Amino acid sequence: MEDWIWTTLVRALAFGTPILLAGLGEIYAERSGVVNLGVEGMMAVGALAAFAAAQSSGSPYLGLAAAVLVGALIALPFAVASITLRANQYVAGLALTMLGLGLSGLLGKPYEGAPLAHPLPESGFVVAALVLAVVLWFFLRHTFTGLVLRSAGENPETVDAMGINVYAVRYGAVVFGGAMAGLAGAFLSLAYRPSWADGITSGLGWIAVALAIFAAWHPLKAVGAALLFGALYHLSYRLQAVVSPEFLKAMPYLFVVLVLSLSALRRGPSGAPEALGTPYVRGERR
Amino acid sequence: MRRIGPFLVEKDLVVPAGRLLAVSSAALLMAFFAAGLVFWAYGTSPVLAYRTIFVETLLSPSGFAEGVRRAIPLLLAGVGLVLAFRGQFWNIGAEGQLLLGAVAAAGVALFAPVPAALKLPAMFLAGFAAGGLWAAVPALLKLRLGVNDVLTTLMLNYVAVYLVEWLIHGPWRGRTAFGFAYTDRFPEAAMLPLIPGTYVHWPTLALALLLAGAAWFVLARTAWGYPVRVTGDNPEAARYAHMPVFWVVFGVALASGGLAGLAGVGEVAGVHGRLLGAYQISLGYGYTAIIVAWLARGNPLGAVLTALFMGLVFASGDVMKVALQMPFRVTDVFNGLILFFLISTERLLYYRVRWAPERKER
Amino acid sequence: MRKGFWVTLVVLLGALGFAQGDKLKACWIYVGPVGDYGWSHAHDQGRIAAEKALPWLETQYVESVPEAQAEAYIDRLVKQGCEVIFATSFGYMDSVLAAARKHPDVIFAHATGFKRAPNVATYMADFYQLYYLNGLMAGALTKTGKVGYVGAFPIPELKRHISAFALGVRTVNPDAEVLVRWIYEWYNPAAAKEATEALIAEGADVFAFTEDTPTVIQVAAKKGLPSFSHYSPMKRFAPDQVVSGQLVHWEKIYIDFLAKVYAGVYTNKNLQDVDYWWLLPQGAVELGGAYGEPVNPKFAGALKAKKLNHPVFGEISVYDLVMKELALMSDVELAADPFQGPIKDRQGKLRVPAGLRLTKHELETMEWAAPGVKGPWPNEPK
Repeated sequence: MEDWIWTTLVRALAFGTPILLAGLGEIYAERSGVVNLGVEGMMAVGALAAFAAAQSSGSPYLGLAAAVLVGALIALPFAVASITLRANQYVAGLALTMLGLGLSGLLGKPYEGAPLAHPLPESGFVVAALVLAVVLWFFLRHTFTGLVLRSAGENPETVDAMGINVYAVRYGAVVFGGAMAGLAGAFLSLAYRPSWADGITSGLGWIAVALAIFAAWHPLKAVGAALLFGALYHLSYRLQAVVSPEFLKAMPYLFVVLVLSLSALRRGPSGAPEALGTPYVRGERR
Repeated sequence: MRRIGPFLVEKDLVVPAGRLLAVSSAALLMAFFAAGLVFWAYGTSPVLAYRTIFVETLLSPSGFAEGVRRAIPLLLAGVGLVLAFRGQFWNIGAEGQLLLGAVAAAGVALFAPVPAALKLPAMFLAGFAAGGLWAAVPALLKLRLGVNDVLTTLMLNYVAVYLVEWLIHGPWRGRTAFGFAYTDRFPEAAMLPLIPGTYVHWPTLALALLLAGAAWFVLARTAWGYPVRVTGDNPEAARYAHMPVFWVVFGVALASGGLAGLAGVGEVAGVHGRLLGAYQISLGYGYTAIIVAWLARGNPLGAVLTALFMGLVFASGDVMKVALQMPFRVTDVFNGLILFFLISTERLLYYRVRWAPERKER
Repeated sequence: MRKGFWVTLVVLLGALGFAQGDKLKACWIYVGPVGDYGWSHAHDQGRIAAEKALPWLETQYVESVPEAQAEAYIDRLVKQGCEVIFATSFGYMDSVLAAARKHPDVIFAHATGFKRAPNVATYMADFYQLYYLNGLMAGALTKTGKVGYVGAFPIPELKRHISAFALGVRTVNPDAEVLVRWIYEWYNPAAAKEATEALIAEGADVFAFTEDTPTVIQVAAKKGLPSFSHYSPMKRFAPDQVVSGQLVHWEKIYIDFLAKVYAGVYTNKNLQDVDYWWLLPQGAVELGGAYGEPVNPKFAGALKAKKLNHPVFGEISVYDLVMKELALMSDVELAADPFQGPIKDRQGKLRVPAGLRLTKHELETMEWAAPGVKGPWPNEPK
């Protein structure tokens, strides 16, 4: 029995790592008031950038750097559209997903079919993800910048009144989210399955979006949520003879709906940043 | 009001059709330009690419018919989304509602003891109901509990996908499918007729056009449409005027879910003839329908044009695959760029530019 | 003068023959991307090889064609001048037949299918012999007695492969088990990875699979566990852990078929009974994880060391057994076959009587599981 629990835990950690990484980034973006549904697209280009850089240079660390950079870069047009141009964030996020998947699939053609010469160990990423979760929680909760970030999502007027540029804060959070998504993608192509293939993200970006909500935008709870989702995915294969795998795979999404409904019922501070999804306009009353 | 050289730019919330067309066209042109850059990066000449697309989709009858065929589910789902967005119900779940419609249609086609002549109508009704139901859940959660509808509709998309997968691997697995993941083929009575020489299943097309017209009529001319429009433009005013906001939102949710469900029926009864893997059925129609509705800017009749446009974009993706040997992902790039530029230029719609050169004060 | 006349006649006829069909255009539709290094990749390699070998051949391909869109794509290809179309997935069956009716002048060939028409042939290069040989090796190498198999869909093609594999495993190790997990997709690296991990957790220590990526090999290799390559030479993904595998040479079929079409032997009217069921004797399939290497030399020692008492060959090492059976199965007369009776299925029911073998039809519609197979087996006959 212990063996069962241990293996499930290990696999849950491994599968949960990319969704945790991307989910943490999404938590930051959403805490600042911006919903970024483009995680899947950012992950995909991050994965490709990581593989391409690592394969051509021989250094997987260069691949890591490339992924983070590319993830951050591709989040920029989304940030411009949703923050400065005040376009509908949800639709902009969808566009980003389409673009990210399309670009990575298109430009990744030359890299298909070859194994990565020097892959990275999964455990490095797992540890990094857990450490990041703690650091990011601390940052959000106990630092001034974290407070500013949270306020940008709850009550941007106060941030403005303090003389801080709300737009800059949101840009920073969104770009950070992109960098984290890129890192998650790097995990996929450098450690989890060291190679590049179109579709390597297989919906993990969407689970990361679900994770951010399910974890009530709390970085530490996100760890638990990632473990839960990871365990469900692993178990769907382990228990294949007994339980319908589709049921287990649908669970994360049902959980999100459940959590959203329950927290709305409680009517207490559900944790959703007040200004989530609403573009900020200086001087205008919301 | 701002002055930029000889131009006066002022905010203008009333958007005339001319400006709408101009801004939308500018956005599309920018998208095409950006896509051209991507083609060039990939190694294909953009000029050649666009010329091939133009010839194969607009000038070729079979290519155009393919565009029309793709437009059918886009139109149905798109009209539904126009209604939903007008009523402030942010339905991102058309993909899932489409799948539910397909499931209901397959269930009726394969298992319901309905006489042959009534099979197709029964399938459409069942599809509408199933899709509507799938949208009703997020709608109720939004209305009664204030739960964000974007997120709930999005999550239910995935639940719908796994529902389909479960059915085709398990209880509904086809006996003639040799273990592959399909149901059996639908009986003849449950298959939609096609326009000869094409793959266009015309009953669904006719239904789509009819419903687009009906939606416009209801919105613009009837007593039911008025509350929808007011709720959409100014929810506070609607509540103040004691308009039945609940029924407005619930109504548009059901309608948009039902219409997406009809699109699903059309796909399985007119294109596939069986229930198959979720991603084979929906092919991203649900998400593209959002673009269709967005471009239509709240007018169901506009959706006819925008659905045809996006259908041609889809068809051009096929052309690029076959004639230009580009990978299938090229369609996603196109769609993403178009959507991106459309929403980015949204704000330009609300500004009016006037020619007013400064006169030198004497 | 006479001689000159005949020479001229031959040259003229030859020139006529050339002018009549100077170029033949053949097109392929693939269900996945050619970069998958699996099924679609292998077909594309076949196409490339055929194009190299036949100077009069012109080719084109479209990848990732969803099964439901096949007919529309075929129409396009026909418009582009394709005279022969190869449809490389079972799911294209209905579309191919419909397209064949619509375009009676075009020649079609459907891989893994079983419905034919005057202008539709079917073809398959099957692995069941190779899987048996792989099974012999797996049975010798497993230390836990549990061999893992990650399968895509529970269709007859995979079922016969897994059963052949299990029969091989049990020949060497009568108590061993083959644990099966299905991922319900041809291509899903994450699913393949987690399924493999689940099997490792259950104790499996040797792996084979049907999934269009080398994921299973990589996952097993990380733990130092041996595996068998599938379809493409995947040994390069883990040179120290890939023991052997199944390789395909689709070009053998493509070259044969296209040459016959070009010469007029196969036309759009006489394909009703043309069905390629090509195995080792025709060279359409090859044992190994890399071309030209049936067994990875790193494992030759272990396989030679393991000996068993074979009912036919007596005391023999697994290595020699594999080589012997390989030679027999490559014989045109098929001197040996994995499904040589008597064989009972895993529920104890007799499926192949003594002295008989499974017919091609029985192989194509096989639903039962060989003894030793453990795991979900949808559609198992009572």
